[in-house]
Amino acid sequence: MKLEIRLFAGLKCNNKGLSCYGENEFCLEVPDGLTIRELHHMLNLQSSLPLVNLINGLAQADDQVLKDTDRVGIFPPVGGG
Amino acid sequence: MKIFRVNMTDLTAQIEDVPAEWQGLGGRALTSAVVAKEVEPTCHPLGKKNKLVFAPGLLTGSQAPNSGRLSVGAKSPLTGGIKESNAGGTASQKLARMGVKALIIEGQPEGDNFYGIHIDKDGIKIEKEADLVGKGNYEVIQRLVEKYSNQIGVITIGQAGESKLTAANISVKDPDGNIRSAGRGGLGAVMGSKRVKYITIDDNGAAPVQIVDSDKFKDAAKVFAKGLLEHPVTGQGLPTYGTNVLVNILNEAGGLPTQNFKTGRFEGANKISGETMHDVIESRKGKTSHGCHAGCVIKCSQIYNDKDGNYLTSGFEYETIWGFGADCCIDDLDIIAQADRICDDIGIDSIETAVTVGVAMEGGVIPFGDGPGLLKLLGEIKEGTYLGRILGNGAGFTGKALGVTRVPVVKNQGIPAYDPRAVKGVGLTYATSPMGADHTAGYSVATNILKVGGDVNPLGKEGNVELSRNLQIATAAVDSTGLCLFVAFCILDNAEAFQAIIDMLNAEYGISLTADDVTELGKFVLRTEREFNKAAGFTDKDDRLPEFFSDECPPHNTTWDFTDEEIDEVFNF
Ligand code: SF4
Repeated sequence: MKLEIRLFAGLKCNNKGLSCYGENEFCLEVPDGLTIRELHHMLNLQSSLPLVNLINGLAQADDQVLKDTDRVGIFPPVGGG
Repeated sequence: MKIFRVNMTDLTAQIEDVPAEWQGLGGRALTSAVVAKEVEPTCHPLGKKNKLVFAPGLLTGSQAPNSGRLSVGAKSPLTGGIKESNAGGTASQKLARMGVKALIIEGQPEGDNFYGIHIDKDGIKIEKEADLVGKGNYEVIQRLVEKYSNQIGVITIGQAGESKLTAANISVKDPDGNIRSAGRGGLGAVMGSKRVKYITIDDNGAAPVQIVDSDKFKDAAKVFAKGLLEHPVTGQGLPTYGTNVLVNILNEAGGLPTQNFKTGRFEGANKISGETMHDVIESRKGKTSHGCHAGCVIKCSQIYNDKDGNYLTSGFEYETIWGFGADCCIDDLDIIAQADRICDDIGIDSIETAVTVGVAMEGGVIPFGDGPGLLKLLGEIKEGTYLGRILGNGAGFTGKALGVTRVPVVKNQGIPAYDPRAVKGVGLTYATSPMGADHTAGYSVATNILKVGGDVNPLGKEGNVELSRNLQIATAAVDSTGLCLFVAFCILDNAEAFQAIIDMLNAEYGISLTADDVTELGKFVLRTEREFNKAAGFTDKDDRLPEFFSDECPPHNTTWDFTDEEIDEVFNF
């Protein structure tokens, strides 16, 4: 299945084996049934902190299973206002 | 400490003892208490009966990290209710060191003259000012620095304040001679109505603020600084990307108001995002991290240079970039930076002005996405043309002038950067805050979207009433300490850092406040403000969002669906 991925606030794909290495906005073909946590590992996201996941604009926990064409946004703790 | 009182009717000043009832107050608690006690709620905000109050916070002037914020209060000409507007810059710490508990400016002179007020160790001087009238804030600050010194504190208004436009703000000099603003609610117009062009503060020779138990204070300040530096938001996120990191995130969450609040996502978001801005600033040798006053350890601000590497603007915030960007459909960061600079220079609230231009675009004055057109409209405000005066009176006024029905205001104040249909907790804050639509009054975005201090669903109702209520109470207390509100990101998660604030207060004043006392202070502030508004003519019916928020907002297609009874629960405490 295919995901539309955006990584924010300095996060980048850190898996040298993927064509999206070093990128923060890309589409990626992944195995069916992949969870968000598995996606974090797949992208080798380097964050010692818990990440916030927005799937199609809604916050989801790391154990959520992803679906084909999901729009995935991931960011580390940030603030503003 | 003393109350410094300036009477602009007869151009006299006096220094008074602090009445017992104000002694335990500072910042917003004090400005609101003074306005509630001394200003007739039904008075004309630009008339002689209104008063303009400046107050450093309870911790301002001390070594407490991030404690140099300034509260400015009055009856607002924009909302018609009570207002506290909060600013960085160096003036607050200088006022505190000069022993100024509050500076109250009252009355109104006859005639067309403007005046400057100077505070130094010899007291208060009021002098006629001619040269700087009609000048923008950058020039005013530069000329006053030349006249006195770089160390001077400056509070000033630009052309917008002189013209008493209800979106006019009050500018405060930062450590580099640039500008921070008490932005919201048109307090620059109140200063203009008093015919005060600027206030300068020379704290040369002032003693440090008195601390009853300085060892305890130092220990608590250390714990607090450590908490701020170690929290991922205050230690890393804010210093690296500034507040503008939120453009991409709110866009992703579907809550980035776009095209005058028509939708929640903007195609050009990434082009104006904090990440893009960070790279632009670095490539032009600006500064990605900068403090608005000495002692700030978070440093969320930045210096943004133009293409040639020359200074363009600073304190370039998410809400401004959202407003001139997504809300006006402009995806050019350099245009938005120029707009921010013009707003700072003419002294007009960049949030109100951006919301206003969105409304003007909807009304057909210029098309959405027209960057050069935006800069031209700001020029009209500077020149004081009739169109400029309409725009300078804010989104509500402009909407009426143009017959626009989608006008995002509450209590006539423009709604900032988070669509209340997609971030419902902050929608409740917009609806109910005595300040009018103000995200800072109870920043539910933290918990709704950023997952700081818990996790409350931004699209549902559950938990949002309590969230907005608790944050409004906590904010009113923090705004009274002089601490920058961004410390909240840390203390929402870190009980030790929160306790350190109480410990600092106790050590400075030799008192024994508890966490409950701090909550009570927040409630006291909100009750005081709400009572003033009630006496000014506000009812529960003013705590509502505009009708158009019952229309669906893509991408989530949510609506604003709180009942009146549910909204009224926010202030049930
Ligand atoms: S964090 Fe930002 S707004 Fe707060 S005191 Fe520091 S520079 Fe000013």
